[in-house]
Amino acid sequence: MSVTPVPLPTIDVDIRRLPRSLPWYADVWITMLRRKPLGTIGGALVLVMLLAAVLASVLTPYGFAETNLRERFVSMSAAHWLGTDQIGRDLATRILYGARISLYIGFGAVALGSLLATLLGIFSAYWGGKVDLFLQRAVDAWMAFPPLLILMSIMSLLGPSVLNITLVLGVAAGLRDSRIVRGVALSVRENTYVEGALAMGSGHMRVTLVHILPNVLPTIIVVATTGLSTVILTEASLSFLGLGVPPPYPTWGGMLSLAGLDHMYRAPWLAIWPAVALSLAVFGFNMLGDALRDLLDPRLKGG
Amino acid sequence: MRQYVLRRLALAVPTLVLVSVIVFSIMRLMPGDVVIRMVEGHAYAPTVDALRKELGLDRPAHVQYLEWVGGILLRGDFGSSYWTRQPIWDEFIRRFPVTLELAALTILTSVSIGILVGIVSAVRQDTASDYVGRILAILALSVPYFGLAVLVVVLPAIYFKWTPLWTYVAFTADPIENLKIMSIPALVFGVTRAGPIMRIMRSALLEVLRQDYIRTAWSKGLPERAIVLRHALKNALIPVVSLVGLQTPLYIGGSVIIEAIFRLPGVGLFFFEALTRLDYPVVQSVNLIVAAMVVGLNLVIDLSYAFLDPRIRYR
Repeated sequence: MSVTPVPLPTIDVDIRRLPRSLPWYADVWITMLRRKPLGTIGGALVLVMLLAAVLASVLTPYGFAETNLRERFVSMSAAHWLGTDQIGRDLATRILYGARISLYIGFGAVALGSLLATLLGIFSAYWGGKVDLFLQRAVDAWMAFPPLLILMSIMSLLGPSVLNITLVLGVAAGLRDSRIVRGVALSVRENTYVEGALAMGSGHMRVTLVHILPNVLPTIIVVATTGLSTVILTEASLSFLGLGVPPPYPTWGGMLSLAGLDHMYRAPWLAIWPAVALSLAVFGFNMLGDALRDLLDPRLKGG
Repeated sequence: MRQYVLRRLALAVPTLVLVSVIVFSIMRLMPGDVVIRMVEGHAYAPTVDALRKELGLDRPAHVQYLEWVGGILLRGDFGSSYWTRQPIWDEFIRRFPVTLELAALTILTSVSIGILVGIVSAVRQDTASDYVGRILAILALSVPYFGLAVLVVVLPAIYFKWTPLWTYVAFTADPIENLKIMSIPALVFGVTRAGPIMRIMRSALLEVLRQDYIRTAWSKGLPERAIVLRHALKNALIPVVSLVGLQTPLYIGGSVIIEAIFRLPGVGLFFFEALTRLDYPVVQSVNLIVAAMVVGLNLVIDLSYAFLDPRIRYR
């Protein structure tokens, strides 16, 4: 008795034409466009701000420190869309360049802060024991200070400068956020695949980089995006008090500051437009951060 | 309960020690020399070295630290200002009522707005009033308080010839005049802080309103007012209380800016003036006092949960 082989029906599928599932970092943006209108608006505002910062020198014919004493306190006009200030500098130009400074400090500080938070948080969670206990008490002590008070103290000692404020805000954000990273890393560490990796003889470096870090990454992204608006706002507060970015660099906080109050009575647009720009930026980063948090890490969801 | 309080108090000690070490090292390690400025700009002493010796700055750092902490613990002496030689603690206590009043009025404003709008938003979920409430919350979150304060000072002065009252009157001297002065800054600051409270009140109340005991209350035929205000609100308040507690450091930090804009002679202005004169002992001690208050406040807030939710027991 012989068995005749039944020919299997071949399925003609071109594997390249199947819909491919996107990686999470691409999928997030599509879900946001579909389901998070406010997040999308926020993202658009952030994009506009980025463009303003990058193209500032192309978009405006004036320099940010270019004075013109014959055109002081000019109100809104074709030549000066948002008017000019007490020494004839174009306000629109200064607001565009202000976006550049805000973003420079914002991204710089958040990059530094995220790196520090990741290192400290994962180290503290992974090492555990006395090291963890001591590090966490130090973070406790740091968090007891009202942020603005201690940052003002440090900046008054260091002196106002773009680099100083970026470093200080970055370290402050890093210390604060390390608490959140630590919490997530603690729970990731308990997974059996971490135990398995250790049993297979993986070193600490490999376990933290290959197994823990990728799982903590979404949290870090969320903390960084929501931290951006805080950093931009804190920079503005410090510049407002004259402790942040020194003149002649234009910053939104510095433009609003008390030093210029007398001029604002004469030219109210000097108060209005920097406040509007700052509010829009904070709104954009807040909404984008909230949407990303909901999509990436529902555990952190707040009010 | 008593054991829990004692243990929390014991845990606060190492935190406070670290706080004092952090603030002391920041003040010593960073550059910036007030002594040179005092001698060259204002002739406080014949030479830099003489003034350094007089202020005790020529001794090793750890001796200075121990003297500072020792003075606080043994004599309640927080040191004196470099410039005026006045004791810091006396000045702090003299100015503290202003800041405390500002903080109380601000928290009152933000909490009452936040809770009210939050309740309406939750009870009328997905209606027009809900959307208005949520948009208000987002606006409040986005507008920086100092920007709003500057606009409130500048714009009415131009268009309505109205300015906030600039000369401060103590509450004890003339309560009505005092409240007139304090109400504008407190309102400005409170409104911008109401956003997060609104949002957390709404989401907490929505969660509570879906629970079984609320359905039971409905089925008993209770009116909506009683269900929301008597049954649901108290349980929904816990996250609100912890949020206000978490925000307190922000109220204190923000009071520096608000006091500077509205010229209120509180601790914030004291701190800011000391900062601009590089008066380190003041900066150092005010930071320490405020941080100690925050630590104490966190404990009080943790204990208040037991009152709000009797299910919470402390061991």
